[in-house]
Amino acid sequence: MADTDLRKEIQEQQAEPLLPIEKKLIVGSLLTGVVLLAVLVVVNLFLGS
Amino acid sequence: MTDTTASRLQTATRLTINEDWLSVLIGPLVFGLALASLGNVDLLGWAATTKVWTDPSHALAPFAPSYGALSGLAALFATYLALLLVLSAAAAALKADVRRFALTFSVTFWLAYASWILGSYAHLAAVTPADFSKYGISWSLRLTNEGGYIIALLLGLIIANFFPRFAAWLNEAIRPELYIKIAIVILGGVIAVTAAGKLNLASTVFLRGIAAIIEAYLIYWAVIYFIARKYFGFSREWAAPLASGISICGVAAAIATGGAIRARPQVAVLVSSLVVVFAVIEVLILPFLAQTFLAHEPLVAASWIGLSVKTDGAAVAAGGITEALILTKNAAEGINYQPGWILGTTATIKVFIDLFIGIWAFILAHIWTTYINVAKPSSRAKLVEIYQRFPKFILGFILTFIIGLSLALSLGKAQAAQLTAAIGEANIFRVTFFILTFFSIGVLSNFRKLWEDGLGKLAAVYVVSLFGFVIWVGLAISWLFFHGIKPPLAG
Repeated sequence: MADTDLRKEIQEQQAEPLLPIEKKLIVGSLLTGVVLLAVLVVVNLFLGS
Repeated sequence: MTDTTASRLQTATRLTINEDWLSVLIGPLVFGLALASLGNVDLLGWAATTKVWTDPSHALAPFAPSYGALSGLAALFATYLALLLVLSAAAAALKADVRRFALTFSVTFWLAYASWILGSYAHLAAVTPADFSKYGISWSLRLTNEGGYIIALLLGLIIANFFPRFAAWLNEAIRPELYIKIAIVILGGVIAVTAAGKLNLASTVFLRGIAAIIEAYLIYWAVIYFIARKYFGFSREWAAPLASGISICGVAAAIATGGAIRARPQVAVLVSSLVVVFAVIEVLILPFLAQTFLAHEPLVAASWIGLSVKTDGAAVAAGGITEALILTKNAAEGINYQPGWILGTTATIKVFIDLFIGIWAFILAHIWTTYINVAKPSSRAKLVEIYQRFPKFILGFILTFIIGLSLALSLGKAQAAQLTAAIGEANIFRVTFFILTFFSIGVLSNFRKLWEDGLGKLAAVYVVSLFGFVIWVGLAISWLFFHGIKPPLAG
């Protein structure tokens, strides 16, 4: 694909609405990440004490 | 990024012998040859090392005193020949044009190493009053001799942006991924020997590496994907590789994700070139910010660099610069930390993040082929993709780490000094591969070409994510897990 085609494609992309599975992926990742981080912080404090 | 580089990136995941596997061969080879000195056979002592200088004839010397009869220039020529031989064999294995590689590598090596030598000029590198007195100078930019990396990067940038035809001609030898992967494999052994002296601290660093994985994959990725999709209107095909490139580890992650969601190869290639350009900007800024604001929390700085700078090469290299800058600042205050811990922590964080690329790519592949672009059962994600997308150079890192750690823990005091010298020899080559990496990253960073490609919108996502989110969350988490943990004092 030529550079000009890619440039045009990037600038003229039609919005694709977020699908339910994408929302699940985003929210699920964030929640899991925050919960796991909290667990690690507790482990970290436990190891440090 | 040139077309040949683009096509190399596209085929990188298809080749049986790729740069990953070559680093697994070459890294342990260098490490093994260096360890021969434990048996009183010094095979790499001729390698060139650079000292701070005012008279250029004193800039170079062979590493080992046993090769003292060799002049500095002869040592450098021997280093060049050895690398030319090994890397030309690697180019042959990659089915590259070996003659062209040898020619372009020669030019690349001498330009990059000249930058390194220039970086050791006393007015650039000298740091302490004792150095000033020793070299008879009254001022210095105090960049330490690691400032040579910055000069190599800047020289590469000048070539890329003002001499694009020369940059295109050099392309065959511009392989930052190969150079940094070999360097990281060698670094595995160096880190192990450093870690052996303080196993408790080393295990603490490893445990906190897990936090880095959670942050990069589960927090960074989700937020950046959301921003790219919701606020910048990118399609899924563009948003997923972009989120991986910005949040995980740049080029490798963008390519793995592109493959996983079955995106067109051009998408991952364009995202990769964007990541490289931003990595250059980060390397030029973040180590100095770390020195200014985090000098009294060296491991917070190390972790922050590992979490913020994308692409393995730029991150680990930035860790090297950060270490030099922070150790220097502390030394000026009378605190002499043992070298190796800051660089080791940055590299460990990065390797931990790399470990999970294959798993994350598989998760994305499963979601995309099952729920988004529903594929025939035969085309859906398979477990074997985890292995296929696993960065194999990590195997080399683990190998040298285990060998280095076993030796450091089992040898007596007399042989421990020999092991330190052997590691020093391996480290000479690690540094040389870093120099080649910096120069290569610079040569790949054609800002004008990037702008012409219309990547302003992609760059906007990067700017918003990096400066609005990634570096701050990275700093907060680094502070949370590394605050108060200090490297051991030297001696």
